[in-house]
Amino acid sequence: MASRGFTKLAEATEAALIIAAQAKDQAAFGELVKRRQGWARALLRRMCQSHAEADDLAQEAFIKAWDRLRDLETPAAFPGWFRRIAVTTFLMAKRRQKAVFEEITDASPLASEDSTPEAAAGAKLDLEKALARLSDAERLCVTLNHGEGLSHSEIVEITGLPLGTVKSHVLRGTDKLRRLLDPDS
Amino acid sequence: MTDFDALLKRSFAEAHEPADDGFVVNVTQAVAHREESMKVRSYVQYGAMMIGLAAVSWGVYSMVGAFGPISQEIMASLGLEVARAHAAVSTAPDVGASAQNFIQSMGVGLTLVLMFAAALAGGAVAIRASRD
Repeated sequence: MASRGFTKLAEATEAALIIAAQAKDQAAFGELVKRRQGWARALLRRMCQSHAEADDLAQEAFIKAWDRLRDLETPAAFPGWFRRIAVTTFLMAKRRQKAVFEEITDASPLASEDSTPEAAAGAKLDLEKALARLSDAERLCVTLNHGEGLSHSEIVEITGLPLGTVKSHVLRGTDKLRRLLDPDS
Repeated sequence: MTDFDALLKRSFAEAHEPADDGFVVNVTQAVAHREESMKVRSYVQYGAMMIGLAAVSWGVYSMVGAFGPISQEIMASLGLEVARAHAAVSTAPDVGASAQNFIQSMGVGLTLVLMFAAALAGGAVAIRASRD
């Protein structure tokens, strides 16, 4: 499908693509998906246990983004806005599967927080396999905190989980990862 | 932040992103399909609305036709009823008789008005149902 206003979509800035997609330009949106699919699928693959499920959710998230793109006020806000859609899509899928995002009030870690530089330097990370060993909620919170760089309060805002629960999931998830990835620590 | 936390962040940042293995095509096809469906749906809604409007118009036309000779009187009688009511209340030589006349005359007018309103409401409900 020809895109309005672009001779070469590949050369257009992301902001221009978003503005065109807001005007229902499907080719511009296709280019936007092309540029963002790696990030979006990687994000959801870390949250889900299977790649196929993650890709299905990523597709669902992109279609929701297409439907709601007019709600996006500034193109610069796209990554955060889309991340929220992706997380909401993931949470809705988990609710459909009756997954329990239990509330935890005890924020203490499972083991000592100590970590030596030597241990860290020697760690051989097979991140994806280790993430698969966490609970859904721990994986979600750890991915958003360490992978996406969100603060605890930002995770609360996106997921709707209580602050104490988010802190607990991040702490427990990180601790589990430490033990899985670096058993000597 | 511990060294492990930093290492974890770095590992996340360096983790590979999946290549486009037909994902983009799937999404763009799904979007195109969705847009087509939305277009068809809007045409269907528009059609249903037109049918609803036609039904209402036909209902009103039929009602006016059925009451042919008296349809003109309806409009006149509506005005007349108000005048009569006003006169009945203002002069009121015999309050009981006037009230009885008033109720009888209003009854005829009101029946017609209610029938007309019911036709309109029915049409509106039909339109709303077709849109849903």
